[in-house]
Amino acid sequence: MWEQVKQALMDSTTHFLTRFANLLPGLAALVVALFLSMFLAWILATMVRRILMGLHFDERLGRWGFASLAEWSPMNSPTRLVSRSIAALVMVSGFLIGVSAFDLQWTSLFVQNVFSYIPEVMAALVVLLVGNVVARFLARSVLIGAVNLNLQYARFLSIGVKWIVIVLSVAMALEHMRIAPGIVEIAFGILFGGIVLTLSLAVGLSSKELISKTLERDVKKAPSESVEDSLRHL
Amino acid sequence: MLQHDQRGNPASPQAKTPTECASVFFLPSLLAKPDASKGPLSTSEAYQSVFAAAEKLQARGCCVIASKLEGATPERVCQIARPLLHDEADLVLPHYTSRKFEGLLNASIIAPMMRALYGKRINNPMGPDIGVSRQLLQKMLVKRAGNPGGTALHPLACLAPAAFCDRLRIVEVHLGTRIYPAPDWANMSSVLANVLSPVFCDLERNASCWQRTRVSAPVQAVGEPVFLAQDEGAVDTSRLVESFQLGNRELQEIWSLVLPPSSLFELRKVSRLPVDQFHMSDELWVKVVYDFALAHRLRTISRDHLLRSLTPLYLGWVASYAHDVRSAGALFPERRLNRLSLAYEAGKSYLLSRWRWPDRFNP
Repeated sequence: MWEQVKQALMDSTTHFLTRFANLLPGLAALVVALFLSMFLAWILATMVRRILMGLHFDERLGRWGFASLAEWSPMNSPTRLVSRSIAALVMVSGFLIGVSAFDLQWTSLFVQNVFSYIPEVMAALVVLLVGNVVARFLARSVLIGAVNLNLQYARFLSIGVKWIVIVLSVAMALEHMRIAPGIVEIAFGILFGGIVLTLSLAVGLSSKELISKTLERDVKKAPSESVEDSLRHL
Repeated sequence: MLQHDQRGNPASPQAKTPTECASVFFLPSLLAKPDASKGPLSTSEAYQSVFAAAEKLQARGCCVIASKLEGATPERVCQIARPLLHDEADLVLPHYTSRKFEGLLNASIIAPMMRALYGKRINNPMGPDIGVSRQLLQKMLVKRAGNPGGTALHPLACLAPAAFCDRLRIVEVHLGTRIYPAPDWANMSSVLANVLSPVFCDLERNASCWQRTRVSAPVQAVGEPVFLAQDEGAVDTSRLVESFQLGNRELQEIWSLVLPPSSLFELRKVSRLPVDQFHMSDELWVKVVYDFALAHRLRTISRDHLLRSLTPLYLGWVASYAHDVRSAGALFPERRLNRLSLAYEAGKSYLLSRWRWPDRFNP
């Protein structure tokens, strides 16, 4: 009886040590991959940072209308955000390479799934980026147009348009990444509908006062209207 | 087209009477597209087609009458044609007799800016009633052929600068009063964008030319100037000032990309003035226009957005100008606009510095 227990214990110890010894090359490969990726990430991040600083990336980004990106960035510098993102990407890639070195079924599956998901993430990021650019462009167009039409609620209209487009692009990105598609669909419907309803209510309720103000102003201006009409620009 | 007289002989250089201007033909068929369903030609296309036809016919020059002139007669057409035929002028530009509130876009930006940059005191550099010699026509066609974005080359915006830079002979003709189209207030920003975009594009193309010019000189004028009694109506500029104030409140984030902090500060001060004391200094206005021209070149923001965002500032200048000339005599508007032109000339060094070192020179 004691011999059998002893044998079982020996077998399990041997089995554990054998499995552990089998894992050791994988672990070593993971550590090496991590160190290498960290080194590579540091080199790449430094290069990218220097190139972007040389191109005055932070200032240019502000001119292109992405000034708010600085608020989300470490040390208020989009250059650092980009360089650190690249470093993180390289380190994650190194980690995945290291994990796949274990040569186990579940790690292979995990890595395979992660890699197959990357195109979805990239596409979602592109959708977000394009959505952001379009939102800003439209917001600026609406703002300038509304100001030139002398609308007092120009800013409100511009912000409304911007958020409609951003919400739309976020919903599209989440849908693309297959993150709770049902919830995203419903939430988007509620949010989008809410924004449109809020805008129409706000414009509708305030237009009463606006129309009366406009009429009042036109009546007041009637005697001197001829002078403004006498202006000729071209 | 200026080619032959009615007997088929070449137009005589000695011809002086209006009847001898019978060799001037107006070709309305050029102003319609071959495919009528595509609508009428744009202004730019119409001028280009007239120029192309003149070149094809090997005409000595061509004249275009595009505006409504009060009491227009064939003699007026001859007035434009004559300097081309007899004075060997290359470009004949109109000098209209304007009331104080007419031609404001030209008076506030185009004419004084061209005077300051190219050194020629002309009143209507963009016509639209013009006479062009064969030499200038050919230069224009060559320019158009060498320009990769051919559509951006607007003939009216390019003619005067091309003549200045090639040192061609320019003559101004007093054409009397022009009937101006009524303003379309809803599309004011489109008008500004459509007119100023080709002007600013041309500024970029001719940078090497206008940077060499130092002082301005008058050009030869032909004909007798006509004097007009100025209106003495009450001036209510509250809507213009309101537009300016709204723009100043809402468009700060756009203007701050274009204008230096000192100009933004000045504009904020101006926007706080009550309507009856509203005044924008010429120096400030000139800096604003030059900064917008620079931002157009640098493509700081979308060019269409940039030019449309100038509208409230322009309306602010119009309000300020209306206040200045409200109770002035007949000659005051001219003196007032001359003062503005001098401010443009004085501000040219500012534009030069910003143009050459846009990042370093930012007061």
